[in-house]
Amino acid sequence: MTMLLQQQAFQTLVDQHKKILYKVCNSYCRNREDREDLAQEIVVQLWRSFGSFDERARFSTWMYRIALNVAISFCRRESTRTRYILSDEGQLLNAIDENVQQSDEIQALHQFVALLDPLDKALVLLYLDGNSYQEIAYVLGISETNVATKISRMKQRMRQELSGSAPA
Amino acid sequence: MFDLDEMKEVWTAYDKKLDQNIRLTQELLSSATLNKARSGSQRMALLLILESVLWFAIVGSLGSFICRHIGTLRLSLSGIALDLYAIAMFAATVRQIVAIRQIEYGRPIAAIQKQIEMLRVLRIRITQWGLLGGTIVWAPFVIVTGKAFLGLDVVNAPWLWSNVVLALCLIPLTLWLSKTFGESMGRFPFIQRVMNDLAGRNLNAAAAFLSRLSQFEVDVQ
Repeated sequence: MTMLLQQQAFQTLVDQHKKILYKVCNSYCRNREDREDLAQEIVVQLWRSFGSFDERARFSTWMYRIALNVAISFCRRESTRTRYILSDEGQLLNAIDENVQQSDEIQALHQFVALLDPLDKALVLLYLDGNSYQEIAYVLGISETNVATKISRMKQRMRQELSGSAPA
Repeated sequence: MFDLDEMKEVWTAYDKKLDQNIRLTQELLSSATLNKARSGSQRMALLLILESVLWFAIVGSLGSFICRHIGTLRLSLSGIALDLYAIAMFAATVRQIVAIRQIEYGRPIAAIQKQIEMLRVLRIRITQWGLLGGTIVWAPFVIVTGKAFLGLDVVNAPWLWSNVVLALCLIPLTLWLSKTFGESMGRFPFIQRVMNDLAGRNLNAAAAFLSRLSQFEVDVQ
């Protein structure tokens, strides 16, 4: 594939799956600047790894692997980061309507996701996005049985927390 | 509040809204821009390459110093001690470069995060041992630089040995300062990282995350 074709294919695929980028960044970073930095870091890493994408898996699954791997290590990084990897002008990811995430239900959902540790966050994000247990297992690198058990435990934990916090 | 499956429905509705509400800046996705950009790991690798070149040059210069003063035991021994330290630092830097190059973000999360955390542990250990070793090779450093740059032989200078004693006494003080003030150095992230490395705080956090990763990978029935 020539460079131009490769770039066009990359642009199209990332644009088609930009929601993954948005959701991962929103789940792992609370601060707007950090979200933009993370989005840029993910895109750079996607581009660097694009040559090794072999189409055995769906692009979305492969993108999830990279985006979540970058997000987890980005949040755990302890030292200073150099801002603006791609550009110091303009944002890579733009929300046209900021109100899109203002509903109470979405806010409650984001609050719940924010409380999870980075690994459980990845699991819940993949589950909420409708990925199959097989795909979740592929992204996380654990067995399908393990995914099923973890999801069921997560549901149980939530039920317990809800019943504990419900008014008498 | 709602349960995980109800959340999934809310998430699906949110997902549909996102379709019309987010845009990507296409210019930033061009290969020219992307090829110029460096990811966090690439920047880290680049800095380490520069560091390894520096250590390599130091190893070479010290080799030359040892050859020139092979007949003077106190000078050659100081050079050898310093050279061993530089060789160890060079090897540690190369090891980090190799570890960074082995990280492929397209591989499963559990495996990659373990690799990244192991690299973090390696970096913390290098900071700890580098600073501790640095204190110990302080005397040979003064002897070698004194001779190489000023032509002075400072082996018998009394202030040199009192400096060594002072440097050794500073180790527990540095550890105490790191444990006490490491967390409050948020405005100086690099200093905070070094202090937390020395205090063992970062090592504990890395060990906890590695243990969490192992637990995450295990099949639970």
